[in-house]
Amino acid sequence: MRLLACGQTDTGISRTNNEDNFCVEEGLGLFAVADGIGGSSAGEIASKMAVDVMRDYITRSASANEPFIGEYNKKHSESANRLASAIRLSNKAIYEASQNNAAWRGMGTTVAAALFEEDRLSIAHVGDSRGYLIRANSIVQLTDDHSVVSEQVRQGLLTREEAAESNIRNIITKALGKDLSLDVDIDEIELMDGDRVLLCTDGLTTMVPDDLILSTVSSVEEPGMVCSRLVDIANKNGGKDNVTVVVAHFSKKKWFSSVKNLFKFAGR
Amino acid sequence: MPKVTLKFKEAVLKEIQLDKEVITIGRNPDNDIQIDNPAVSGSHAKIINEGGKIFLEDMNSTNSTFINGKKISKSALNNNDIITIGKHTLVFSGPSQTAEADKTLQTKKPGLNETIVLDTRAQKAMQAEASGAAASSEKIGGFTVIEGSAEKNEYELTKRLTTIGKTETAEIKLKGFFAPKVAALINRTKDGYFISPPGTKTKIKINGSSLEGRYELKDGDIVEVENLKMQFYIKA
Repeated sequence: MRLLACGQTDTGISRTNNEDNFCVEEGLGLFAVADGIGGSSAGEIASKMAVDVMRDYITRSASANEPFIGEYNKKHSESANRLASAIRLSNKAIYEASQNNAAWRGMGTTVAAALFEEDRLSIAHVGDSRGYLIRANSIVQLTDDHSVVSEQVRQGLLTREEAAESNIRNIITKALGKDLSLDVDIDEIELMDGDRVLLCTDGLTTMVPDDLILSTVSSVEEPGMVCSRLVDIANKNGGKDNVTVVVAHFSKKKWFSSVKNLFKFAGR
Repeated sequence: MPKVTLKFKEAVLKEIQLDKEVITIGRNPDNDIQIDNPAVSGSHAKIINEGGKIFLEDMNSTNSTFINGKKISKSALNNNDIITIGKHTLVFSGPSQTAEADKTLQTKKPGLNETIVLDTRAQKAMQAEASGAAASSEKIGGFTVIEGSAEKNEYELTKRLTTIGKTETAEIKLKGFFAPKVAALINRTKDGYFISPPGTKTKIKINGSSLEGRYELKDGDIVEVENLKMQFYIKA
């Protein structure tokens, strides 16, 4: 399986600074988005730390025997546990940094991250940043928001429609940097030829409905183009928040592609 | 007078006349039908006479209640229906209340034992796993195959994503030359199970009407994908 990925972040229309960050590491199979929280630029410090610490941890663990952070979940693969470890390490780093610097006190960040290994994709998240899978013309959300409204929906206090309109829909129940220990949600999926995976911050999902995300992702071939289209739509629809998207395309290496290239070559 | 015959494997243990409005079944001694076996919940199920019509209702038991191999929450009883509770069976003798009753029994009988053994085993494995991780209190759902060719009689949906289709990696595999690679996706979320149809030609029906968009599966829903017909269940 081959991975082709691209990411983009934008301040949006209403905000003056961008507290989102992302990373795309095709070689490591890692991609992530993070949405920082905290005043006076602390939010962007937290989201930057999240992606940097994760990237470093995954890089180290790809070559050396890096210890796992937190409890190893036997129900999931080693790869998924590595991804969760990376997030827990980021959490620790952000927490400690915020304790040691008065200007950074209270900072935090959401994260949605994916790690690709062979034909499997591990997905982990904290907060309301999301992961989506686009397969065979349908879109499936791979993450369940850690937010007050989604808890209320779960308890039957709100309908999904009411939740989308709620004025407290931005309150999340979990974030990196708030506590030394952190529960990270992890899941794994078996990849198929043609799968597309999207990670995004809530700046996209509050501005662009799922079906529009689906039609955009499936109608545009090149991941970078998909990203800029999605950012454009979010801004056209109001751009009330920073918006960050990472799009990854997965495809099987086809046996005939080398033959096809040979013909192309011979035909010249 | 309708009655049930309590059996363990082939041995008949007891015959119970259904002479009350409610007959309770369970491990506790205060039940009308007491089954003293660890696979049976304290209050497991009850048989209710609702104005002459007789129903069996599961009382959120740990290991579920089955009629003719199908997991039920509440269902009408028909003559010769086989109720399975743990490793015990109860055979119902009384009037048939739905026309197709005998037919269902005929088609279900051969695979009966196998299905149930598979299920309790899978359940035990799951419970052992779950006891290790405290967080997994969420309900598990699954499909029981009713009609059509599939590799298994039952599918437990423990993964985040389950694919129905002809493709190699599909968990629920469709057979046939014209079957689509991906016919439907089932997403297990904290809020429940959702089925999404692909945008293309595949015909998916939920309880007889065709599926238009994302749909939350409910206990007992009948799902038809191509020529595969399954019933969705949620384990208590």
